[in-house]
Amino acid sequence: MSSAVLRVLCLGTLPYNKALILQNFYCEQLVAKEPSALNTLLVLQHPPVYTTGIRSKEYSTDDEFRLKSFGADFCRTNRGGLITFHGPGQLVAYPILNLTCYNKNIRQFVSAIEQSIISVCDELGVLASTSPHTGVWVGNNKICAIGLHRRQNVTTHGLALNCNVDLKWFDHIVPCGILDKGVTSISKELGRNFSVEEGTGLFLSQFSKTMNSPLIIVDEQETKKEVSTILKRAFYEKC
Amino acid sequence: MLAGTSRRVIGSLVKLPQKHFSTASFLLGRKYTDKHEWIDVDGKIGTVGISSYAQNALGDIVYVQLPDVGTTFEQSDECGALESVKAASEVYSPASGSVVDKNSEVEETPSLVNKSCYENGWLFKMELSKPEEIDSLMDEEAYSKYLKSQEE
Repeated sequence: MSSAVLRVLCLGTLPYNKALILQNFYCEQLVAKEPSALNTLLVLQHPPVYTTGIRSKEYSTDDEFRLKSFGADFCRTNRGGLITFHGPGQLVAYPILNLTCYNKNIRQFVSAIEQSIISVCDELGVLASTSPHTGVWVGNNKICAIGLHRRQNVTTHGLALNCNVDLKWFDHIVPCGILDKGVTSISKELGRNFSVEEGTGLFLSQFSKTMNSPLIIVDEQETKKEVSTILKRAFYEKC
Repeated sequence: MLAGTSRRVIGSLVKLPQKHFSTASFLLGRKYTDKHEWIDVDGKIGTVGISSYAQNALGDIVYVQLPDVGTTFEQSDECGALESVKAASEVYSPASGSVVDKNSEVEETPSLVNKSCYENGWLFKMELSKPEEIDSLMDEEAYSKYLKSQEE
């Protein structure tokens, strides 16, 4: 079984809609089998935003207005999963991969994501597990949400691991549409502040192991240049 | 010469409109795409679904997004999505045409696609605009071989 190399771009904090532009760019390249296309992992944080998946009709414009009134953005997407929140203190990762390179179907890929997060928690002494509800749980509380889209076997969207995010943001929604369950974060479980920066290294290491995929971490300058080029092009194409 | 005359007589007695002999309109059974959709053609109407391999690979399907009646597609256009394990996977139209019916049963009970992907779990029906496209799809035998090659 061959394992494909994964290019990692650490993006800092980026608005959700700009990250979507990047995701779509890398996805298009892989779908079109461009010679320069590479499996890419985007790692970042978002300013506060609530997002919904393809079951978007379950959330009305009233819901949208109400959630925006709390100071967050609101975005309807084509991923799986119901409503969730992204914000500062949450490690968000978007693996834009051609699953054929990894010889995994979508179920196996979701399982691999769950396993890599469980391994991160395990390293920290946090007892995490899977459940009939996709994602990673500490008891009845979700510590990491997962929601994906697959187009011609290329994935977009991904996971969101709560590091030291303010969990009060989740009070305004039924996270992932699951009643009687809560949310937690690594900071809450450890009883100390655990930052996204601390989580990133652990996540990259475990994800690389689980996917059997060597990583190429693109340096900061190169990342900035690449992101700027893609976003500028998208802006001018829109005009 | 006689044979030639006989052929001409036969030709004028039995008019055989070419379109009725298009292979697409005969009962060929299901044809498959390389993205694991199937289409079953009866006359100009094709019923579309996903294969057993596909429903198994997806896992428990919890939501089905189907195209509206009247939507037109070219072959291989994205025409819908199926959600399982918090992943929305695109469905592609096996042929060109316009949607004439969608299966409201699977919209209400998405698990039908897992339980009965070839019968009650059909997704939508379309009127084919280019029936000859069906010839390029895989029959059962070719699809089986294709699945085996994917496993290697």
